[in-house]
Amino acid sequence: MIEILQQIVNGVAIGGVYVLIALGLTTVFGILGIAHFAHGSVSMFGGYLTFFMVTAWGFPLLLAILIALIVGFLLGMLIELLAYRPVRNANHINAFIVALGLTMMVEGLNLQFFGHEQVVIPTNLARVFDIGGVTIPELRLYVIIAAALLIIAMTLFVEKTKTGQAIRAVAENRDAAILMGVNVKTIPLVVFAISTALGVCAGVMVGSLFAIAPGIGEWLVVKGFAVLILGGLGSIPGAIVGGLVLGVTEALAAGFISSAYKDVIAFVVMIAVLLLRPQGLMGKA
Amino acid sequence: MLKIEDLKVGYGSIEVIHGINLEVRTGECVALIGANGAGKSSTLKAICGLVPVKSGKVTFEGRDITNLSGHAVVQAGITMCPEGRQVFPQMSTIKNLRMGAYTRRDAEQEADLDRMMDMFPILRDRAHQAAGTLSGGEQEMLAIARALMARPKLCIFDEPSLGLAPKIVAEVAATIARIKDMGKTILLVEQNSLMALRLADRAYLFEAGEIVLSGTGEELQSHPEVVKAYLGH
Repeated sequence: MIEILQQIVNGVAIGGVYVLIALGLTTVFGILGIAHFAHGSVSMFGGYLTFFMVTAWGFPLLLAILIALIVGFLLGMLIELLAYRPVRNANHINAFIVALGLTMMVEGLNLQFFGHEQVVIPTNLARVFDIGGVTIPELRLYVIIAAALLIIAMTLFVEKTKTGQAIRAVAENRDAAILMGVNVKTIPLVVFAISTALGVCAGVMVGSLFAIAPGIGEWLVVKGFAVLILGGLGSIPGAIVGGLVLGVTEALAAGFISSAYKDVIAFVVMIAVLLLRPQGLMGKA
Repeated sequence: MLKIEDLKVGYGSIEVIHGINLEVRTGECVALIGANGAGKSSTLKAICGLVPVKSGKVTFEGRDITNLSGHAVVQAGITMCPEGRQVFPQMSTIKNLRMGAYTRRDAEQEADLDRMMDMFPILRDRAHQAAGTLSGGEQEMLAIARALMARPKLCIFDEPSLGLAPKIVAEVAATIARIKDMGKTILLVEQNSLMALRLADRAYLFEAGEIVLSGTGEELQSHPEVVKAYLGH
């Protein structure tokens, strides 16, 4: 029993990272209908940047994360303006190709700026808590708390603010949103800024829990889309439930079956869910 | 209040509105009638910034609003209740109504919300239900209430009776009459010409992208051309 709880806790930590990535992907997909493949690489850029500021410039970790967040926020707007806005009214395949090109570009930039070495963001959080027999390393606990706070903040933003409701409105009916007075040019900017900032948080979490290396971004974005499909495309509750389900399934598979097969098992679960609910766990039929 | 001069609208190279002039004065209810495809809805979309104006001028309260983007037109005080209701299907009724007040920053939004639900009691019953699950008539009431939530100076209704049962059509007509009595200025587009002419102070008849006739509601109701072609008796 303790062992199961232990694996669930581990799964919630990585699940939280998946949720943060998936929240960005799902809001972008919701309003623009595009698969923003570069999201993983951009998130890793945030992780790399944090690592660089801490190790090369000696910035305190929290300050480095804050700066990386702001950079992510601005970078998100830049991506929307320069990469996706020009193809907004074109065929969907154009945005698809832009997304692929952008992924390669950002991966290339990461390689140029930060090299091909695997890096771990140093946190100096070495304590291990023991809660009723379940051991939680300090860092993992903070990651879970931070992810939970960010997810709650994002949900409150979407449900309780006018801008958040406008994002939902544009996703549900773009023309009607215009008639309500929503500026449909600024909403995508806001969405990309917030999504990228959340992605940067996920990048920092991956970089401190595990490691950042070339290719990790792609791995993360594949997981992100798996979560989207699992939870229901464009659905925010779906991203939250889907991310946690995927994270916990992986952890349980790794703990009780084989860590080599954890991805296989996670995708088998995904296929099984889709066979029963093709619209995803929280998707509307 | 609203003045349209020599308006031409086209989609790509095809011109659908060939230079029309019309006017809506403060407190009036003006109807645009005509057959399907005569250009009524395109005129509305051009006013609201949803399709570009080719040439001509749209002025609202003396201000040139030609080719202003959609959200800026709403801010200027024009709200459209669109054809086919266009509610936000997964949002609850109450959230749809709040979206109507999107451009407002005043403190009376919640009071207005209450007023709307007094005006349309069915919306209070359905307050937390997803709008997509409401019946057609309920959705029409929601769309009208949502438009009023913006406290528009000019309220445009595009085909409010389309696809509704006759009993509900009468209800919609009564609702528009009430909104008119509240002192709102209304621009109404309807294929149900009789309903439109009974509600309207003045009306314009569209044919193939041009205005071929205009006059008071009564005048058009008894005009032989209109009677023959649109009222069918």
